[in-house]
Amino acid sequence: MQFEILAQPAASALRLTMDAGEELTAEVGAMIAMSAGFTVETSGRKKGGGGGLMKGLKRMFAGESFFLNHFTAQQSAQTLILGPKLLGDIMHHNLSGTLIVQGSSWMASDPGIDIDASWQGFGKALFSGEAMFWVKCSGHGDLFLSSFGAIYEIDVDGEYTVDTGHIVAFEDTLQFRIGKAGESLIGSFLGGEGLVCKFSGQGKLYCQSHNPPSFGSVLGPKLKPR
Amino acid sequence: MEAEVRNRPSFANIHVQLNPGDRLIAEADAMASMSSDIQMSTRFNGGAVQAVVKRVFGSESLFVNEFTANSPGEMVITQPFPGDIECIELKGNTMFLQPGAFLACEPGVNLGLGWAGIASFVGKEGLFRLKVSGHGRVWFGAYGGIFVREVESEYVVDTGHLVAYEPTIGIRMGMAGGIFSSFFGGEGLVTRVSGPGRIYMQSRSMDGLAAWTNSHLW
Repeated sequence: MQFEILAQPAASALRLTMDAGEELTAEVGAMIAMSAGFTVETSGRKKGGGGGLMKGLKRMFAGESFFLNHFTAQQSAQTLILGPKLLGDIMHHNLSGTLIVQGSSWMASDPGIDIDASWQGFGKALFSGEAMFWVKCSGHGDLFLSSFGAIYEIDVDGEYTVDTGHIVAFEDTLQFRIGKAGESLIGSFLGGEGLVCKFSGQGKLYCQSHNPPSFGSVLGPKLKPR
Repeated sequence: MEAEVRNRPSFANIHVQLNPGDRLIAEADAMASMSSDIQMSTRFNGGAVQAVVKRVFGSESLFVNEFTANSPGEMVITQPFPGDIECIELKGNTMFLQPGAFLACEPGVNLGLGWAGIASFVGKEGLFRLKVSGHGRVWFGAYGGIFVREVESEYVVDTGHLVAYEPTIGIRMGMAGGIFSSFFGGEGLVTRVSGPGRIYMQSRSMDGLAAWTNSHLW
């Protein structure tokens, strides 16, 4: 399987070229176009069993959909184009181990990768500016994530601070806690930064340059009431 | 301090590398991520009274954040909407920024308040504008791409598209054409700019997006 990310970072799309027998699991609704030689299977579970009803429901809590689409190429040199709904970037991560992904950023992955919802604790659920559950991707293979805004990578060794709403994904060798942005709690809130996510450990962290809630708070007041 | 605007023009953000002792002033909520050894403190945007006036009449933030590096570190500054970011270096000169455009500046820059006038308010450009002066770099952002024009005599910009301009520029509101074409031609009020001086415009406007979104809601 070969891939190419087109039109980065604003209107990104993922173009995959797959040979007979190669498979990919993708988010429902992500397919933009594909060659005729694919079979598409929709199910609530991982390809070849595993998971089932509960995992599907948990995925829904993490901001993903209950169903997954499995694409299998039947002939050689088949192309598949995928894209997210919002404007934004797409990234590739060669997974080997576990990556914790912000709800709704998971787009597609190798069928061997297990996609599960993960509960990060009550404080993080309430204050991190992300969904209540996170998507936990574990296994080996290609993983594709999408974001609103450009994605940038940080190699954390020690500590790093990320504003709420800007996390895309992080390796599970990193931990984060919710803390205040400045020295004083009142100042942090008055300064508009409020709470931030403080990462520690060693591993890769992916952030998005923009975040949908901030955009919404500028646009929202200009919209008519429904 | 080294700064680079990345991912232009659609999702521009500023990547700043700070040396120990470097300071950066940034708009509230503009920080996306940073090294943990950078300290943040919050202060009024100008004086207390001026900050309140800015908040109430100029849709600026009441507070700004000051970031100080204790050891070499990096940070990412961003804006709420997709678009480009421009950097200008002030050398004792002054620049006016439209409400919401300011993102960050170096400590040698003063953030003041300039009266924009009733006409500007009517044209939805705000009663006040931000006046940046002093020495150092200033970053401002826009919704959409940013383009510059050296205005010699007169120039017409649609309301909501002006981002920044030099103090030698005169601003007044006017109609795009006659009464009929101004309102049925979809342009309505426009900003009439008179030079000489430099203006910065944005290729999209939030009001335009809001109007389009509103027409699709029911």
